[in-house]
Amino acid sequence: MNNARNDTWRYRVLRWIVFAVFMLFTCVAGYLQLIEGSDYFSKAEDNVIRYIITYPPRGEVFDRNGEYLIQNKICYDLMVVPREMPKGGIDTLRLMNITGERIQRLRDAFFKANKAGRRVASPVVKYLSAEAKLKLDEWNPSGFYTVPRTIRQYPRNIGGNLLGSLSEVSPRILEQQNEEGYYVMGDYIGEQGIESAYEQELRGEKGRIRRNQFADHATTDIVELEAVAGKNLVCTIDARLQAFAEELMEGKVGSVVAIEPSTGEILVMASSPTFDPNELVVGRGRGNHYMRLLNEPRRPLYNRAITSSQPPGSTFKLLNGLIGLQEGVLKPQYRYSCNKGYRSGNVKMGCHEHRSPLDLDFAIATSCNAYFANVFRNILENKKYKSPKEGYEAWRKYVESFGFNSKLGIDLLGERQGVVKERKYYDKLYRGSWNALTVLSVSIGQGEIQSTTLQLANFAATIANRGYYYTPHIIKQIEGQDSIDIKYRTPHNTPVDKHHFETIIKGMWRAVNRDGTCQTARLEGLDVCGKTGTAQNPLGDDHSTFISFAPRNNPKIAIAVYVEHGIWGSTAAVPIASLIEEMYLTDTITRPWLVEHVKNLELDYYKAYDRHKKKK
Amino acid sequence: MTDIRRRNNSDIQLFQGVDLGMVLLYFILTMIGFVAVFSATYFEGSEGFFSFEHKYIKHLVWLGISYIAALVILLLDRSLWHKFAYIICAITIFIVLLTFTPLGKTVNGAKAWLGVGGFTLQPMELAKVGISLAVARIMSNYHFSVQRFGDMMTVGALLCIPLGIAILQNDTGSGLVFCSFLFMFYREGLDHWICVPAIFFAALFILSFLFTPAVLLVALIVIFTFSAGMIMRDKWKMCVKYVASLLFLSALLFLILCFIAPGKLGFYECLLYVTIASMVVVVIYAYRANIRKLYFLVLIFSVSVICLPTSDMVFHHLPQHQQNRIRTFLGLHHDRDLMYNVAQSKIAIGAGGFSGQGFLEGVMIRYSRVPEKHTDFIFCTIGEQFGFLGVLVLFALMVMLIYRLMRMGDRQLETFGRVYCYCVASIIFFHCFINIGMTMGVVPVMGIPLPLISYGGSSLLGFTILIFIAIALDASPIKR
Repeated sequence: MNNARNDTWRYRVLRWIVFAVFMLFTCVAGYLQLIEGSDYFSKAEDNVIRYIITYPPRGEVFDRNGEYLIQNKICYDLMVVPREMPKGGIDTLRLMNITGERIQRLRDAFFKANKAGRRVASPVVKYLSAEAKLKLDEWNPSGFYTVPRTIRQYPRNIGGNLLGSLSEVSPRILEQQNEEGYYVMGDYIGEQGIESAYEQELRGEKGRIRRNQFADHATTDIVELEAVAGKNLVCTIDARLQAFAEELMEGKVGSVVAIEPSTGEILVMASSPTFDPNELVVGRGRGNHYMRLLNEPRRPLYNRAITSSQPPGSTFKLLNGLIGLQEGVLKPQYRYSCNKGYRSGNVKMGCHEHRSPLDLDFAIATSCNAYFANVFRNILENKKYKSPKEGYEAWRKYVESFGFNSKLGIDLLGERQGVVKERKYYDKLYRGSWNALTVLSVSIGQGEIQSTTLQLANFAATIANRGYYYTPHIIKQIEGQDSIDIKYRTPHNTPVDKHHFETIIKGMWRAVNRDGTCQTARLEGLDVCGKTGTAQNPLGDDHSTFISFAPRNNPKIAIAVYVEHGIWGSTAAVPIASLIEEMYLTDTITRPWLVEHVKNLELDYYKAYDRHKKKK
Repeated sequence: MTDIRRRNNSDIQLFQGVDLGMVLLYFILTMIGFVAVFSATYFEGSEGFFSFEHKYIKHLVWLGISYIAALVILLLDRSLWHKFAYIICAITIFIVLLTFTPLGKTVNGAKAWLGVGGFTLQPMELAKVGISLAVARIMSNYHFSVQRFGDMMTVGALLCIPLGIAILQNDTGSGLVFCSFLFMFYREGLDHWICVPAIFFAALFILSFLFTPAVLLVALIVIFTFSAGMIMRDKWKMCVKYVASLLFLSALLFLILCFIAPGKLGFYECLLYVTIASMVVVVIYAYRANIRKLYFLVLIFSVSVICLPTSDMVFHHLPQHQQNRIRTFLGLHHDRDLMYNVAQSKIAIGAGGFSGQGFLEGVMIRYSRVPEKHTDFIFCTIGEQFGFLGVLVLFALMVMLIYRLMRMGDRQLETFGRVYCYCVASIIFFHCFINIGMTMGVVPVMGIPLPLISYGGSSLLGFTILIFIAIALDASPIKR
């Protein structure tokens, strides 16, 4: 058999093999524990610790009278754990009846739930009403249970494009925010309107729970960060008035803005066409409704009051009058003749038929184009300035001091600034040779001048205040804050003296109360002052606009109405503004026939919008 | 033999000659095992510290049983084991076969358990004792030679019994333990020329999953031509000529076949057939040049070339879960559960760092993130809680255990005792290799426990009996 030497040799080989294997293991263990140890340590932590985000309730929004504008509502998600479902299946017909879902949707949901895991709870139907929840509780099929969640509700169904809605945060926003950004996939974020503008205040702060998970599903929770509830807001909107304005604007395209002149608070901001904000509540059918609204040619998703800038028309004449008075080139007793228009050289500007010659008072009341063409020409050709171009620049400064050609700074997103051209623009366009006559259309608010309805309402408020305005704003109170931003509490003064305003207001009063263009707006005892506007445009009938405030002394409401293609200022805009003023000031409607008239107005939008509509 | 018996009978001193170091090693390892099992299964706030519901209490009971068994073995007459080796083997195999009766229980897909009263038993752990004794008995027979083919076939046949049963039980891991007897055979003087090809074929088997047969064929041709060149030393030119002619002929065959029967045979098949045919030429050459070693090369080469396509076939006849385990280990297949087990166990070991998280600390084990943390993956518990230091201590103790068993074997006068000790050493080494290797992800996952450490009564009892029979045999008065 084997000799002793061979034995020892083989014994050694085997010892070496054993030693080598354990050395190899030592190396591997050393690599795992010493070199990658810290890496594995954090992996181990990840394995057992989950961070659970707790969502605070979103802030609610009230109107100025304490009525709910946006409310949180509890609804229920129906969840299913497929493994716990009864063996023979469940009565899908009953489930269909309770939830109101189609069978195919239910089947898809069950299929998905099975795929997600037989032991895992998956949603079957989301956003069930409390009523459906009660029915389900009564039935109580095994494997099913409901989970409460809050959604937004808009009790008055008004102000779709003003209040905004919630949507799931988009990938674009997720990309834009930095690494420590607030939002994660699936979070909700305010879209448009107040929901978007006051997102920071409304959302609150998310909380965080540290959850240690054991394999046997036992858990311990430690609250690391308390969730902070969103702040409630008080809106300046008068819900009843807003609803009334939207009712009047139905079927028309345009917007209404009413401001309380003494504070700059917006009482009404109605944009038409609008939509029921409840349609865009996250959950059932938001996607479909949103796409439908998005593709509508009249663009109901836009808040026209701030996003649409249009020529202000004759309402702008008031500003030219004010500037003329301040510059001293116009006195109330100045009289100009008007023979169905203004002519000077090649320039011709038409006017309607009225008494001639006429003074400022009556020129405002009857909205004479020729009179204000003269005023504008005098402003530009003022001897004070070297040329009409410099006169134009001076004029522009006045205009801008009234909030035109710049964003007013309302606390809503997407505000437009309107258009007032700079001197350079004309220099380039006319290669340096232009004068007052070239830009004469601006004198009556046409041509290279545009403003938003908000700016017009602000203009009305400025006149009502006799020379200053507060930046219009939509939120008057934030929960937990003493006052709103200082910028909404500082008056903006205009360089026009107070007594000039009185002159203009006299004309506006006459326009409503004696022999002017807007006598429909007359309200007994309220001393309404107003000025109509009729802006020509190439897409159909003229735009109808009207600015007004009431009462004449110590005004409570300033309003601007802009009805696109509303024919005359007095056809659509005047009655609407008048009814809103009456509603606000007296709480009653004494002229039901006027309401009927406004509601039955048939305006032609074919050329402007509807011809683009797809044929079905 | 008679001499030994007489001495024993007359001797009153009970534990004379017992290797106390070995007993101490055994005791330390079982204590480490208990600490590990305790920390893996104890939870604060669970009811009744001493309740039999708890696994650590069960383990404690099994420890007691094992210690009693160890004591009994030391008290028994030490010639008993040689005498009753076959009977003990028959009894244990009979118990193993009981798993196929209604007494059998299925745990984790393996039908390898017996349910007796409240306890479950894995009889294969006991069968290791029986088989080891029987193998030692056969090999200690007079005239038995490891180098004789017929004798080895007898041992092989014996080993095939538990292996076959294990495969039927769907618990191949336990069966493969007996492959470790190669270790012992080597000690007993198995020819190198059998060991080397055995390792070569094993490597080829694994490589055949990683590479396509064509690549392996080319690699084989290159390796064997190179070896032949090494053997013949100065005939390098001829080797190059041989490879070139192989390629040329197979290309020719391929082209001809393309015309006769297009698309029937690929280039790989052509090369395969030409290579096999060329063996005849090589054999003739070897005969003429009278180079003996070339015959051997040709034999291994032919077998491996023929095996190339068959290894795939064999593989596909393995049960699905074993295919998955091998594939997962080789990185070819991503079994989520297996990947998860190994990944989690690596995380647990790695999280231990240098000095560990501390006793009853560390999230992975405490929060049950590692499956089988108290049985097959007990090493993770030690790795996470006691860190690299703890692992080193465990390794050192294991190496000492195996070394001591080998030394015990070598100092036996009787072949029976030597073979038996080496059997025990082989089994423990194989268990450590597979178990520790799989928790660290360097060896495919097989469900076999870590000796003396893992939770599990049958395994603890089995290893205790294995080791203490070795101690008892070692304690017999006649020594080298």
